Amino acid sequence: MKNLYRKGFYLYLCVFWSTLAIAQVNPTIKSQLNGTVLDASTSLPLPGAVVKIKGTTHTVSTDSDGRFSFVTGQSFPYTLIVSFIGYDQKTVTVTGSPVTIRLQEIQSQLNDVVVTGYSTQERKYIAGSISSVSGSVVQNQPSGGFNQLLQGKTTGVQVSSNSGVPGGGITFRVRGNNSINASVDPLYIIDGVFVSNADPITAGLGNQAASNPIADLNPSDIEDIQILKDANATAIYGSLGANGVIIVTTKRGKRNTKANISLNTFQGWSTAVNKFEVASGPEVALLTNESRVNTAIDNGLNPSTVVLPFPDPQNQPTYDRISGLFRTARTSNYEVATQGGTDRSTYYISLGYLNQESIVKPSDYSRYSARLNYDNYLTDKFKVGTSINFTRSDRNLSGSDNNPTGVINSALFPRSYLPIYNNDGTYARYGSFDNHLALIENLDSKAVGWRTIGNIYGEYTFIPGLKLRSSWSIDNSSEYDNSYSSTLISAGIATNGSASSIENKNLVLTNEQVLSFVKSFGEGKKHNINALVGNTLNTVLNESTSATGTGFAANSLRSVSVAATRSGSASRAESKLVSFFSKVSYTYDGKYTIDGSIRADGSSKFGTNNRWGYFPSGGFAWRLSQEEFIKNLNFFDELKIRASLGLSGNQNGIGSYAAQGLWSSGANYLEQPGIAPTQLANPDLTWETTRQFNVGAEFGIFKNRLNIVADYYNKYTYDLLLNVPVPYRSGFASYLQNYGAVRNKGFELGINSTNIETDAFQWTTNFNISFNNNKIEKLASDISLGASGRNISILRQGYSTNSFQLYKQLYVDQQTGNAVYEDLNRDGAITSADRQIVGNALPNYTGGLTNNFTFKGFDLNFFFYFQQGNKIMNMNDFFMVHGGTQANIGFLPRQLDRWQKPGDVTDIPRLTTFSGNPTQNGGAANNYGGNVASLSSRYLEDGSFIRLKTLTLGYTLPKDALRKIGVNKLRVYAQGTNLLTFTKYGGLDPEVSSQSNNQNTVGYDWATVPQPRTFQIGASVTF
Amino acid sequence: MKTSYFRNAVLLAVILLSASCKKYLEEVPNNSLPTESSITDASTARAAIIGTYDRLQGYYASSYPTLGTITTDNVIFNGTLSEYLQLDQNAIPTDNVITVSAYQGIYRTINSANSVIAYVPLVSDPLLTATEKNKILGEAYFIRALSYFDLARGWGGVQLQLKPTTDLSILKGIKRSTLDQTYDQVLADLIQAEQLLPEDATTRNRAQKSAARALRARLHLYRKQWVDAETYASQVIANTKYTLVKPYKSFFTAPFQTAESVLELAYSVNDRNSYWNLWYPSSAGGQFTLKPSDALVSKLNNPAIGGTRNALIAGSGTTVYGVLYNTTATSTDPSYLIRIAELYLIRAEARAQQNKLVDAAADLNAVRVRADVGVTSATTQSALIQAIEDENAIEFAFEAHRWFDLVRTERAGAVLGITNKNFWLFPIPYSDVQSDPDVTQNPGY
Repeated sequence: MKNLYRKGFYLYLCVFWSTLAIAQVNPTIKSQLNGTVLDASTSLPLPGAVVKIKGTTHTVSTDSDGRFSFVTGQSFPYTLIVSFIGYDQKTVTVTGSPVTIRLQEIQSQLNDVVVTGYSTQERKYIAGSISSVSGSVVQNQPSGGFNQLLQGKTTGVQVSSNSGVPGGGITFRVRGNNSINASVDPLYIIDGVFVSNADPITAGLGNQAASNPIADLNPSDIEDIQILKDANATAIYGSLGANGVIIVTTKRGKRNTKANISLNTFQGWSTAVNKFEVASGPEVALLTNESRVNTAIDNGLNPSTVVLPFPDPQNQPTYDRISGLFRTARTSNYEVATQGGTDRSTYYISLGYLNQESIVKPSDYSRYSARLNYDNYLTDKFKVGTSINFTRSDRNLSGSDNNPTGVINSALFPRSYLPIYNNDGTYARYGSFDNHLALIENLDSKAVGWRTIGNIYGEYTFIPGLKLRSSWSIDNSSEYDNSYSSTLISAGIATNGSASSIENKNLVLTNEQVLSFVKSFGEGKKHNINALVGNTLNTVLNESTSATGTGFAANSLRSVSVAATRSGSASRAESKLVSFFSKVSYTYDGKYTIDGSIRADGSSKFGTNNRWGYFPSGGFAWRLSQEEFIKNLNFFDELKIRASLGLSGNQNGIGSYAAQGLWSSGANYLEQPGIAPTQLANPDLTWETTRQFNVGAEFGIFKNRLNIVADYYNKYTYDLLLNVPVPYRSGFASYLQNYGAVRNKGFELGINSTNIETDAFQWTTNFNISFNNNKIEKLASDISLGASGRNISILRQGYSTNSFQLYKQLYVDQQTGNAVYEDLNRDGAITSADRQIVGNALPNYTGGLTNNFTFKGFDLNFFFYFQQGNKIMNMNDFFMVHGGTQANIGFLPRQLDRWQKPGDVTDIPRLTTFSGNPTQNGGAANNYGGNVASLSSRYLEDGSFIRLKTLTLGYTLPKDALRKIGVNKLRVYAQGTNLLTFTKYGGLDPEVSSQSNNQNTVGYDWATVPQPRTFQIGASVTF
Repeated sequence: MKTSYFRNAVLLAVILLSASCKKYLEEVPNNSLPTESSITDASTARAAIIGTYDRLQGYYASSYPTLGTITTDNVIFNGTLSEYLQLDQNAIPTDNVITVSAYQGIYRTINSANSVIAYVPLVSDPLLTATEKNKILGEAYFIRALSYFDLARGWGGVQLQLKPTTDLSILKGIKRSTLDQTYDQVLADLIQAEQLLPEDATTRNRAQKSAARALRARLHLYRKQWVDAETYASQVIANTKYTLVKPYKSFFTAPFQTAESVLELAYSVNDRNSYWNLWYPSSAGGQFTLKPSDALVSKLNNPAIGGTRNALIAGSGTTVYGVLYNTTATSTDPSYLIRIAELYLIRAEARAQQNKLVDAAADLNAVRVRADVGVTSATTQSALIQAIEDENAIEFAFEAHRWFDLVRTERAGAVLGITNKNFWLFPIPYSDVQSDPDVTQNPGY
């Protein structure tokens, strides 16, 4: 070994001296050449570039200013070969001195490059369906997660916020719901890291998804986003790709650029567009009296004998609880970033801080983020780099949920004639409900997340075009939830204070190797090959530890450690995935592309008999615009058709040990350890598979000023990972097996248009619309669920997922005032057999329209989002239009529309609490109780809407003025969010889904924080 | 040389990779046992019977006592959750959350008991003596008997699962039995249990011979087998371990396990029972879903009817609430399965039915006197039977009795106004009707 070093040293000396010798000894000087090598796009010097005279061994390097000089025996003209790592080699013939040589960076030379699975390709050759969104689209918005901001921005994705709580959960689907029990969320990849999208927050928020884990990424760090939609694009991700793949590339510095520093800030003020309205004290009293009288009549009593609960309804007081709920919520955002590069390395460093309050007290969200992206060319052939993202998120949680001790419920549900405070000044509580002010002032539930998403890679180029890349990634998150229920709120009264402390750790480790080969060959380089082969090892480890305590000496003592009684718990689950994959794409003459990929995945989650899955795909693209007969039309600048077919899989969302027969421990009694059967074994359990067919066309006309992309797809997901309900007499509720099928088919249209483009004025328009039709094609039996056991949601063969099953109210009988429902089985009685599917929560189509205007320094942008055809189950109406059956709950104004006398035409039946004969159709029992139990279609509403999501006006100061003060760019802007909404929905906000922690119970509005209207101002400056 | 190194390295890597892949993909949980090694030795046999008690807690903590109370005139709905409103109105849809959860919980208990009955006899571990084995088996038979009894009185004759569910094929072809067949199965299990269970020691929260005899007395009462009911009730009453404790409230006052108790399921701070939460108002930290009816409150407050049993309620005005379950700070209220007072009333009724009116009145009075209420004025057979019914309603106001008593004596129509007898049985869960080809729904649902 030592010997080797010595030899190397001698060799080096040898070369060094001979170089010197050549330079010195050359006897005849025929020419002297001075030159500079510059980056073609930035015009910055490239130090260290190698300049060689063709046909000789004479080589020099550029100095720190990019300059070089030759004194040579060659006479002009002669040819130079200039090369530099990461840049295209250039051959220049020089005729005299001095000379300036511009090198083109390799990536920037390709136009419109798309990051696809494990590689990059030029868009025009791609056979798959991929949407690209620039990072700037999701920046400077009053919202934490970039995924939330993709709403209406591109085709094939359906995005909606579940509530107006900042940092809260969202619903994100790529081309519909593929699954029933397995996950329907896409795979997120950030700079090559497979990122966990599991909600880490353990605090119960009444079935609301508590957080959007993707909000841990600061949107300002994003360079661009690719959405892989069809099988051709996603099959390379095999078992992870069925729900689509979102690839995020963050900003990186450019080589040979000077450091620039940018500062960015905005301040926002949010308010509620609509606030809850409840019936006043006199109205509640009136309705209660009326209900009491009607009930007496139904029971065959003389109404005059009824003792009215409110003999004098008009004099009932009204206490306003709603105004105590809302506030003007502040949002602040501050960011600083710097980026740049030397000849061998690049960097991007950023820091960010976002703080956002909810318009309903007391929730808020803040995020501290830091990022370092760094690349270094160690040698000409070997490049290493890293991307690291640190985030800390702080959430102040509020159980504003379906729990009677939640903030909104405690303000909304109590009867309005009841005072907020007792006579002695303490908080008053009624029935099951807490006091909303007690909650707002005393809730203490904090969730602190620490997240590291990082990656290091090395990339070695054997020969131009043949590269091996090895990458090691981590997504490490730790969520630390601490909550304390003091004795001032209902949850802490009985126990004298109760506290919990939960740490939930999630670790995703990924290692991947990819050997890729890109080569053009043949005459005129007509043959292009882009191929790769690789493997990944992926481990997901989830661990959680919790401690709870009750009984505290004082409300200021909040640590579990000082509780009178304490208990703890811990859990752990680990799963592994091993994958091998390969992809080959061949393009002939820029016209025809054919490609294919295959991936093999082995998962520890599945049964020993069926652990491995294989996912192939193939695609074809034909650029008609390159054909003479199209060129001759002189109309199309770009015309491409493409088609693809392939398989992808899904294993997310099922337990790590889902295939094993298990007896769980922890079934304890008398402080002794117990075990009991909890899960049936399924050794055949295997992948859920999605087969997708896609055809698409892309047009560019009018000098590419009008671009149209259209796609049709048909996705069939079979062998669903389904929790098939089994008879309860088995001792189990369900059995996870591969059964069932779901189909999603749809059409997407995206239009980009540059309407006007002059030096002073530009106007561009983006329109997109996505239709999706979802249908369950095969299911073992109906699965009913949702709304705390009321089973309002149903999965049924032949219908779409997220369907609602209710009793269909036909009308309110004008004579009797009783509701009449459709007697589905015509047996003359209303029983559970008469519940039917009356709509679903999935929109028929969603889309967006964005217009950008720039005039000199001004820019104006407005963005509409629309969705059509989804239904919302209004649970607030369900509870608060109760006809008197709920003695502790007030009324919504809608109850005042009730039937009162023969001839009244309304959909709100006569008030009564009568319960006799619960199966009678048109009987009084079924108005609000009975078998129908208010599960009436009258509470299901159309949730379609069009919304002016954002309106932005900005001004960029002239460059000349700025240069004097050393500023590169300065832009100030004002923006409004959710300014206008057009909808028929009767609740506060149509963008709502409060049972969202289960993907099959979408579309409920249940004491949910509405989307706020936000006004914000901001500035960004670059030095 | 160099290439062969390379080739060997690749070869080695491939071999290692394919061999280790299989190993690499093996993952086992650290909190569960594989089904095949669930009951294999003394400690897992013990853990399995403990797990069966845990399952019994699962349906007795909240859902089963709720089914026996809110359905009657003793307790009314006062909350927001419509599943309780449905029970209160006796208009129970097939997916009513409480009936579904009780039905499911009972069969889960049965599956655990079936596993113990099937696998514990196969265990050959010197640490598991024959005596202990018998004890474990006896407890499993007892719990299975209780579970089928609770199904039968709620839902009628049910499907009899007597083997552990190892896979779903075991379920095929088992139809609903008649009510008599279900009760016969309960009897068969109780006979086994009585043989296998140990004689009574101090414990009151695991089954012993008296528990089996007490349940057998109740079974005979439900089947109107008055002689047997009297015999078995007498056996338990004769045991000096059990007495009617005074004052009334002492049996539901911590630390519980009084001489009143033939069998109660115990809870602890690590194994909580927060049933009190449904009874207490929100100002005391509860939900107040279950509320004593005005009629019951006035009876309890009447010294001639309630006596010291007015300790079952607290509060005033519109906020009178039930405090049988009252450990608000610790959530350790027991589930009261069998109290000695019940055996007095079983024997009273069995004797009254046999026209042994004096003895019957004596048993009834034993319960009344304990509550500081005067002796009964009933003298005729029918008056005495009525008095026993009324006594049951007060004595067990918040336990799983009133509804089942009124159904058993076919008085639910007269007392509760539920004239449609179809509604005297709970519905078979909606999802079972959908997923089980062998089940038939109760008529009227």
